[in-house]
Amino acid sequence: MTDKVILLVEDSQRDEELALRALRKNNIKNEVIVARDGVEALDYLFGTGTYASGHTTELPTVVLLDIKLPKIDGLEVLRRIRADERTKLLPVVILTSSKEDRDRLEGYASGANSYVRKPIEFSEFAEAVRQLGLYWLILNEPPPPADR
Amino acid sequence: MSAAHSDSQSVRGDTSPVDARRYASAILNILEDSAQEKAQLTRTQRAVLNILDDVAGEKNRLDGTQRAVLNILEDSAEEKTRLADTQRAVLNILDDFDIEKKKVEEVNLELRNEIEERARAEEALRHAKAVAEAASKELEAFSYSVAHDLRAPLRSIDGFSQALLEDCADRLDADGQRYLTHVRESAQQMGELIDDLLSLSRVTRTELRRERVDVTALVRSVLERLRESQPDRQVDQVVQDGLVAQADPRLLDVALTNLLGNAWKFTSKRTSARIEFAAKAGEHPPVYCVRDNGAGFDARYADKLFGVFQRLHAAHEFEGTGIGLATVRRIVTRHGGQVWAEGQVDQGATFYFTLEEGHP
Repeated sequence: MTDKVILLVEDSQRDEELALRALRKNNIKNEVIVARDGVEALDYLFGTGTYASGHTTELPTVVLLDIKLPKIDGLEVLRRIRADERTKLLPVVILTSSKEDRDRLEGYASGANSYVRKPIEFSEFAEAVRQLGLYWLILNEPPPPADR
Repeated sequence: MSAAHSDSQSVRGDTSPVDARRYASAILNILEDSAQEKAQLTRTQRAVLNILDDVAGEKNRLDGTQRAVLNILEDSAEEKTRLADTQRAVLNILDDFDIEKKKVEEVNLELRNEIEERARAEEALRHAKAVAEAASKELEAFSYSVAHDLRAPLRSIDGFSQALLEDCADRLDADGQRYLTHVRESAQQMGELIDDLLSLSRVTRTELRRERVDVTALVRSVLERLRESQPDRQVDQVVQDGLVAQADPRLLDVALTNLLGNAWKFTSKRTSARIEFAAKAGEHPPVYCVRDNGAGFDARYADKLFGVFQRLHAAHEFEGTGIGLATVRRIVTRHGGQVWAEGQVDQGATFYFTLEEGHP
């Protein structure tokens, strides 16, 4: 089994590049799958649509989820993740654009595990990872035997 | 018959004593009979008289009855007149009542019109309010969207500048690196500006929810955050114990973060900085004050302190967006309170505020 992947749901290519750079700079070597909108993200997670061929059955370690997304927005994606037995415990870090976003989301009680402000600052990301107990993700060690 | 008997006696002419006695007794009998006859007659007469009497009584009674009937008829006529009068009176009253009723109806109509007019006015007000609310919601959505979209390019400017500085530093000389640093600083400053504007607009649009707030604890937690942001600074902090208020905790947090943040910022050039938080004794509603011994301000411009984008210090002296105190004022106003300030250049500043209606 390989390192678990990180699912980055981000429609802006520049934000994606900055996010990938931040992860790389901080020695996070996990494979990053990028979904460009909410539909793609859900297809990946539930093996539907373009991912229906059984390309993946393994869930990502963590989902980095932008809020403003084409087609299905981040909050709806999160709702569907939480509503499904298979993914309801999946760690989801919301990428916020501003302090405002974060307040809004807290108001919604959205079910996010953590919030990281864009562009991903390592300190913020490390804090989110610490909150989620995913130490090994940034320690760049092989994951413990799969528990799923 | 006795007369015939006496006639036969007298024809004979000669009377014996026995015959005389017989005659006497016959006469007596006749007399007796006659007396009886007379008594009967008298009785009859009396009876007739009685009857006549009775008839007369009857007649009298009849007369009386007739009179009574006449009286009754008379009375009835009077009664009829009275009835007619009464009827007339009643009709009059009904007439009056009609007039009165018409008047009442007129008044009612007026009232109804007034009520309708008022309802229309209320409806118009409601409509205006709905329009205003819709406009305000639209404005919120608009400003949120704008702020959001403004941030995206800003993020790229800052992010890629950072990437340049970190990844390509060896290909940039000192000037190049300095310029890039300025680009980053400016991008970050604009980001703060956007955040502050959003925070200001949020203060207006969030619902005010009062609850019991431990002001002392809130002030200490804000100061703790400030200490964490600059752990190497030495600031003497004095917070009064036991302060409690009925306020919106989130909004009060924002206000205190701004006020104490200012105190923190403007004492940054003091060697022995001091920040105090207390409530003035004996005031109602309570007057809270944030006092510092920092740079203070020119009292002539005190009224400008609370305006948006109003700054009394140059950016190179003390950074800031000029939105913080406008936000504080909006929060205090939403609580029905007031905020004001005292200060002098280099003599520190004191900001006072209340969280309830009424003049302290």
